[in-house]
Amino acid sequence: MTRGRLLLLAALALAVTAAAVGRAAAQETLGERLPVRELTLDNGMRFLILERAGAPTVSFVVEVAVGGVHERLGTTGIAHLLEHLLFKGTTSIGTRDAERERALFARMDAVHDTVLHARASGDTAEVRQLLGRIDELEDSARVYVEPNELDRIFTEAGARGLNATTSSESTNYFVELPANRAELWFVLESDRMRDPVFREFYAERRVVLEERRMRVETSPAGLLYEAHLAAAFTVHPYGVPVVGYGSDLETLTRADVASYYRRYYGPNNAVVAVVGNVDADRIEAWARRYFGRLPRGEEPPPVLAREPRQIGERRVAIEWDAEPRLRIGWHVPSSLHPDAPALAILASVLTGGRNSRLHRRLVTDDRTATGVFASTGPGNRYPQLFQIDAVPRSPHGPAEVEEAIYEEIRRLAAEGPTAQELERVRNQVLAGNVRRLGSNLGLAFQLAASETLEGDWRATFRVGEQLQAVTPEEVRRVAAEYLTRSNRTVATLERRAAP
Amino acid sequence: MIARPWVLLGSAIVAGTLLAGDAVAQTPATRDAISSLRFDAIEFEPPTPDRYELEGVQILLLEDRSLPLVSMYARFNGGYGLFDRSWYAVAFGLPTLLRYGGTESMTPDSVDAALDYWAIQTSFGTGGGSISSTVNTLTEHLGTTMELWTDLLTRPRFDTAQIELWRLRELEGARRRLDDPGSLAFAEFNRLMYGDHPVGWEMEPADLTPERLTAERFREAHRRVLCRENLILGVTGDVSWAESRPLFERFIASVPPCAEPLPEDPEPDIRREPGVFVIERDLEQTVIVMAHPTSLNLADDPSYFAATIGNSILGGGGFSSRLLARVRTEEGFAYSASSLWTTPRRHDGLVGALTSTSPENAVPAVQLILTTMEELRDTAPSRAELRTAVDRVVNGFVFNFQTPGQIVSRLMLYLAEEMPEDWLERYVAGIQRVEPEHVRRVFAEHLRPGAMTILLVGDPARMGRSALESLGPVSVLDADRPRP
Repeated sequence: MTRGRLLLLAALALAVTAAAVGRAAAQETLGERLPVRELTLDNGMRFLILERAGAPTVSFVVEVAVGGVHERLGTTGIAHLLEHLLFKGTTSIGTRDAERERALFARMDAVHDTVLHARASGDTAEVRQLLGRIDELEDSARVYVEPNELDRIFTEAGARGLNATTSSESTNYFVELPANRAELWFVLESDRMRDPVFREFYAERRVVLEERRMRVETSPAGLLYEAHLAAAFTVHPYGVPVVGYGSDLETLTRADVASYYRRYYGPNNAVVAVVGNVDADRIEAWARRYFGRLPRGEEPPPVLAREPRQIGERRVAIEWDAEPRLRIGWHVPSSLHPDAPALAILASVLTGGRNSRLHRRLVTDDRTATGVFASTGPGNRYPQLFQIDAVPRSPHGPAEVEEAIYEEIRRLAAEGPTAQELERVRNQVLAGNVRRLGSNLGLAFQLAASETLEGDWRATFRVGEQLQAVTPEEVRRVAAEYLTRSNRTVATLERRAAP
Repeated sequence: MIARPWVLLGSAIVAGTLLAGDAVAQTPATRDAISSLRFDAIEFEPPTPDRYELEGVQILLLEDRSLPLVSMYARFNGGYGLFDRSWYAVAFGLPTLLRYGGTESMTPDSVDAALDYWAIQTSFGTGGGSISSTVNTLTEHLGTTMELWTDLLTRPRFDTAQIELWRLRELEGARRRLDDPGSLAFAEFNRLMYGDHPVGWEMEPADLTPERLTAERFREAHRRVLCRENLILGVTGDVSWAESRPLFERFIASVPPCAEPLPEDPEPDIRREPGVFVIERDLEQTVIVMAHPTSLNLADDPSYFAATIGNSILGGGGFSSRLLARVRTEEGFAYSASSLWTTPRRHDGLVGALTSTSPENAVPAVQLILTTMEELRDTAPSRAELRTAVDRVVNGFVFNFQTPGQIVSRLMLYLAEEMPEDWLERYVAGIQRVEPEHVRRVFAEHLRPGAMTILLVGDPARMGRSALESLGPVSVLDADRPRP
């Protein structure tokens, strides 16, 4: 009965968007029947346009199918650095004289080539001196720079949330605008796609190094995450941090970034979702006018790396000035695999809410942990990890928590979940799906992600049905099949012993 | 590295003078395209909530029939910030225990099951001066939902096992606060500035003794705060006044009149002396927080609007503000850098800045921030800078009306804080009257870079001890781990 209620709730949330544009919207309207206008330009660029009633605002999300998995050792972090540099402008935005800037780029890049040699020979004084020289040249180029002009133009237009994120397999650029200024986005975004200039390159590389220091090097959870993925993936690039390794970030070149851009940022590798109180006809016309003239890009090379079957438990330990943490990961198939729904249900049975098995066992009954959280990651497209993060409660340590987790998993793998558990969990998963539909921006993200991952924006709305169909036996089977000792990698963080 | 004079002078001004001719000659196509864009006027009448009153309790209603969903909002003035330290943990934990501690007639587990069964979403929280809760449900279950929500808020059980679970989690949280350099820095900075005042408090084992966290004490805090004179209610969605009125009548009947008024919020005695403090940590990045007290309050007053715009220009406006442009974009010192300017309704606030950078750049970053502040005291910002800050608010006005919930919650806040109901309109009008010279004046009066208390969390050897001394006499702070 509850399940029916939640399904209804999901359908209703979607019905609103349909009703908003005056189409006949019965209550049973499914997400797949949302009046999303699909448009593919001749250059392969895809647009998903959804009119929605409400305040006169519009959300734009561009998803480019590029991320950490499209990197190699030596140039890790390049997808993310490029994302930063794409806010630096073009030959017309962000500059007073792009030609003179370019001449200075050549000079500083030449000095940088010699830095790489000095680094290799270990001549730190020379490295410092050369970096100082690059700094001076970049400062002299700044005379021609209109700093952060792209941001300023959006800001003055009243935009909210201009930003971007890079993950292991996708990069998203997003912003919200007052609906009457939608055309401004088309002018700026098509200019950026056609003609980016990677100015202020060396300063931005330092910014990304500081981002790495903040997110990884001074964060216990960040350190543990990076070490865990590196141990779990020995071949597949899911094991490489998206933010990049420090020594790679110190040596990436402007030429590396430019060629990476040419390879992965063709319009054929991008999906745009536009959701808001706008006229779809005008949005379509602007899409054609502004993006239609961009040439099709290279066909991005596929990721062919395949993680070999793990043949024995791996363990990695971090010692750090912090309270203990635990992370366990088992190799599981990609989110596109038929077992993915059962694994999603398994995660919820284990840690979804206060009545889940691991929460009840560790937090409520044993009181050995204050939190436990299961998920899959770090991406979706390739075989990934089923991962459990736990926060032990002093004086209990990771070992005690780890053993209790295995005990609960063994029980689940033997007996499977109860029908009642599954019912509760299905409701949670569905309620979560409903909440994600609340905002224009959230919906735009889902449309773009689903289209990018599965080639079909509707796929995201089929997840609910797939989860409904999962049986207790399937949950038991995936637990027994994947959550085994030899298939797992365990990472612990423990307090560094006093010196 | 930061001694390049043109950086300190402001590159935009100098470069603009040198290159004005070139820039005009070039007329880049994209800028032309932007300036030739013509935007339609927005035809938009922001929805206004209806106002009602029952038994002296104000209720805001914004009907929205597009979805068969209803949201209810309750806000009680009163939170941990109004009581003495011995009540800190109880008042802080009160919203959590209202949600998870069961009701007189239902165990915690059966509350969870009921919320699951009816697909009801709830939230419970406190901001220090108030306790708030919202509930969202399908219209057809509104009656059931209101019964449950009324019970959660007005007939709590304060189940002792749930209190103990919360207590253990908070104890662990106190231990782990020191794991993250950012949260350590902010906690210690607040303590340094505010001392024994609610803003300076952090949860410590002494707050979390079982004696302080009895069900009886939770009931006492509940009685003091969740009473009628402190309450404001709101409702949005698929419901009329005629439909919701009986539900509110029952709700309000369950909320007793307050036996005594709330205490006044305590006046802070904020540290005024400048100082440089270091918490020694062997870290690859140093967290920097600096501020001094300011007497400027939120008010319908030109100084307040000038300060708001000034803060946006200094460091509150992201990439369009000076601190991020210099500390990040020009120098590459940091991923983030921003100013802060708190303007409470009463009492003093803080003005200052924060960033994180590698230890070697810590002192240069502090100096760059201080110099950037000095410039805004001496020289008015350009009209273009001012326009960016003002246009963001004016052109983005529609973002204040994205959901009925946003509109009703905002008005509830204004009523609770005794602010004018049309504060948003006054605010937009006020900032449009700000002139560059007003910004310079408000900085000259209220911002004193030399008076900053500066806290650095990191490795002083790598920051350079003599460089640190150049900022002022350095004191080392001991931030010991709490050991329960």
